[in-house]
Amino acid sequence: MFIESPQTLFFLEALIFASVIFINIAKKNSFAVFLYMAQSFVVAFLLFNSSLKESSFTLMLVALSVFAVKVIVAPYFFRNLINKHQLKFSVSTYLNGPMTLVILAMLTAFTFSSFFQPLSILSQENFNALLLALSTMLISVFVIINRKGALSQMIGILSLENAIVSFAFLSGLEQNAGPQLGIVFDILVWVIIATVFASMIYKQFGSLDVSMMKNLKEE
Amino acid sequence: MLTTISSSTIFFISLLLFGIGAVGSLVLAKSDKWANVAGSVFAVSGSISGLVSSLSVLIKNSVFSFNFDLLAPLLSVSFRVDRLSAFFIFVISLIALVASIYSLGYVKHFYNKYNIGALGFFYNLFLAGMLMVVSAHNAIFFLVVWETMSLASFFLVIFENKEKSNLRAGYLYFIMTHIGTAFIIMAFLLLYRSTGSFDFTVIKNSMGEVSLLVKNLVFVLALIGFGTKAGIIPVHIWLPRAHSAAPTHVSALMSGVMIKTGIYMFIRIFMDMMTGIPVWWGVVVLVIGSVSSLLGVLYALTEHDIKRLLAYHSIENIGIILLGLGSSLVFWASDMKSLAVLGLVASLFHTLNHATFKALLFMGAGSVISQTHTRNMEEYGGLIKHMPQTAFFFLVGAMAISALPPFNGFFSEWATFQSLFYGIKSLSVSVQWVFLLGAGSLAFTGGLAAACFVKAFGAIFLARPRSEEAKHAKESAVTLRIAMAILAALTLVIGFFASYITSVLATVASSVRALGFAEPVFSSAAGAFSLKDGFATVSMPTILFSIVAALVLAWIVLKIINRQAKIKIERTWDCGTNLNGRMEITATGFSRSIITVFRGLLKPTKQTDVEYHDADMRYFAKSSAVHLGIEDIYLNNLYKPLQALVARLAAHVRKIQLGNLNVYVLYIFLTLFALLILLAF
Repeated sequence: MFIESPQTLFFLEALIFASVIFINIAKKNSFAVFLYMAQSFVVAFLLFNSSLKESSFTLMLVALSVFAVKVIVAPYFFRNLINKHQLKFSVSTYLNGPMTLVILAMLTAFTFSSFFQPLSILSQENFNALLLALSTMLISVFVIINRKGALSQMIGILSLENAIVSFAFLSGLEQNAGPQLGIVFDILVWVIIATVFASMIYKQFGSLDVSMMKNLKEE
Repeated sequence: MLTTISSSTIFFISLLLFGIGAVGSLVLAKSDKWANVAGSVFAVSGSISGLVSSLSVLIKNSVFSFNFDLLAPLLSVSFRVDRLSAFFIFVISLIALVASIYSLGYVKHFYNKYNIGALGFFYNLFLAGMLMVVSAHNAIFFLVVWETMSLASFFLVIFENKEKSNLRAGYLYFIMTHIGTAFIIMAFLLLYRSTGSFDFTVIKNSMGEVSLLVKNLVFVLALIGFGTKAGIIPVHIWLPRAHSAAPTHVSALMSGVMIKTGIYMFIRIFMDMMTGIPVWWGVVVLVIGSVSSLLGVLYALTEHDIKRLLAYHSIENIGIILLGLGSSLVFWASDMKSLAVLGLVASLFHTLNHATFKALLFMGAGSVISQTHTRNMEEYGGLIKHMPQTAFFFLVGAMAISALPPFNGFFSEWATFQSLFYGIKSLSVSVQWVFLLGAGSLAFTGGLAAACFVKAFGAIFLARPRSEEAKHAKESAVTLRIAMAILAALTLVIGFFASYITSVLATVASSVRALGFAEPVFSSAAGAFSLKDGFATVSMPTILFSIVAALVLAWIVLKIINRQAKIKIERTWDCGTNLNGRMEITATGFSRSIITVFRGLLKPTKQTDVEYHDADMRYFAKSSAVHLGIEDIYLNNLYKPLQALVARLAAHVRKIQLGNLNVYVLYIFLTLFALLILLAF
């Protein structure tokens, strides 16, 4: 009925990891949003699976909330933003494609190095999936660093959050339903505010490229 | 048991009254009069309660403590009033009582100009803050109340906010007080690291586990941190500006008692918490005391702003207090506890004395300022005719601060001298020279203080008025004179009962752990204060009666000699010209010769302006003026270079502040990486 084999969990985590890799190299904003939606879907699925395993209604509520907020509401807001301001193509990155891939490879290698061996005490059987979740976290941060578009950065932040949730899930560090629902609500509010801000920034600067926002700088 | 309960209850009632006064002033802020009445009356009541509570502890030794743990594990509201705390509560309450009586009349001249409700609020908060500072028994709680006191006093300094100079003074005070607080926090954190607690008793009991290095670091940090509040040189630069900017009754409190909270913490940390201190701590305190006392009085001599002059005298007197404290530290470190008691008693006695005569002098100055609307002494003159009572009270204060018998200042300086002389007599050559320096500095200080107050009294009250305001000045309001009269009487009473007060202060000194169970080297009996081996003796009542007898005798002799003489009142010979204020010696002129003697230290600046009737011919001067000032060597040689260094560093640091979110996240990312790698090793 529910999934608990380490191989399947590793596969699902690999999907999350792959989505963030593609977010890094995606050229179109709409594709990045789609990748985030897919990533969130996997996270919601993991939580849903956990609720079945625990036979907990509240956990199922959490999974449904995550699904509603991350898979439906957030992408909806982002797509509206893209359509409203014709943001079909994402803004440029600081590093080119090959260099980006090199950094991603280095970050992944770093997380699989001996530095993180002590994490095995968290979960021996899901250790590789844990390291993959850690890589996803670092690569999500790298999305925020490398991409100039505000929308990509927002997706990077949300992807980081997904990575943290999956890490917590795999290591058995999930919180009770109350805090998890609170976090989901927090993300919902953040998405709304961030979208409104992004819209206002576009109106002010005519672009969502953060490197173009010079007028607020002290000359 | 009953005494213990009542003294603690009275103490908390005192805090409650200050709280009611603060809130009451704000509630009644729409009416200046009622806001002032509420602020002052509750401050008076709170001060009386503080006095009663502290006297109970001082006389009956009914030490009390109170502890209330808040939700935060490290923060507990913890009070402990032992004899040392009680002594400082007594001094604070005494001056607060008189200052609050004074404020009833003094604040009137702020009506319809400034927010009296805010003044009453911050004034009461300031008083409560000071009482809590000297009774707090937990480092975190101490920092909270220390900040309360500092912020309340900051708002009082900028109360007259229409004057830009006051805002600048407040800004400087705010910065300096927080620099000091930063050092204090570091000192407490070091103690916490070594003892695992912020509770003063636990710190005290765990002092054996603290290494000498940590003790030395705590000493240096506390010396800078609390020294900034006390106004020691060279971290004094806020003091003359802030004390002169505040309303007079607040100046009296800041100068008279607030700076003493720094001294209280010196004693609490160095002598009550610490054990096994090295001799050099005392030597450092003695050197700072010598420098502060001498330079403080020299800077005072150069001032013609009356409140700044008095503020500089606070630095001088803090120096004198430190001479007593420093000698006590040296004696204690040299295992001469009996002599250490003498040094500490001299220090505490001068703390009390300075509070009384400095508050008196500030109040006298405030009365004059309220009539003349200027702080510039060059625009006073002849005020003794218009304000005779104020002049008398100011003269009493001036004599007390100049250490003239029979007033209280004489006794504490005499006791400080004895402590220094004992050091010269008893200690090794390597330490003797510091005591010699201290004694020499104190001797100089006494003489220069007398010269400074001859200048101040002469320029303010004698000769002819030098401005229209001075010509039309009137005697100050009754409440102002009552407050000054109380303090003037106190300077005499404290002087008269010096011997008895010394015995009380000896119990305070002995209550400090460093000097516990030490037999003092002095005895007090029948009004006389004697050092046990016949080193020196003084009897203040005898001095007073001798002076009175000499005055009466002189009066009788004069009466006998002049009994046949007729009194003729004639005009003073004026060389054929009309006498006016411009012919008098000015405050600047009076001090010029002394400044010239000390020009190496003071770096005087002189500017001469001459305006001619005919600029081409330049024979007939229309007017000429000499502006004598002194270079602010601390500002120019310490603070400005420091500021420039900080600005340069900030400019470099600013380069990493690019205003780009990507870069900031990169910083976080790199830091995270660095921490991970650090963790791995």
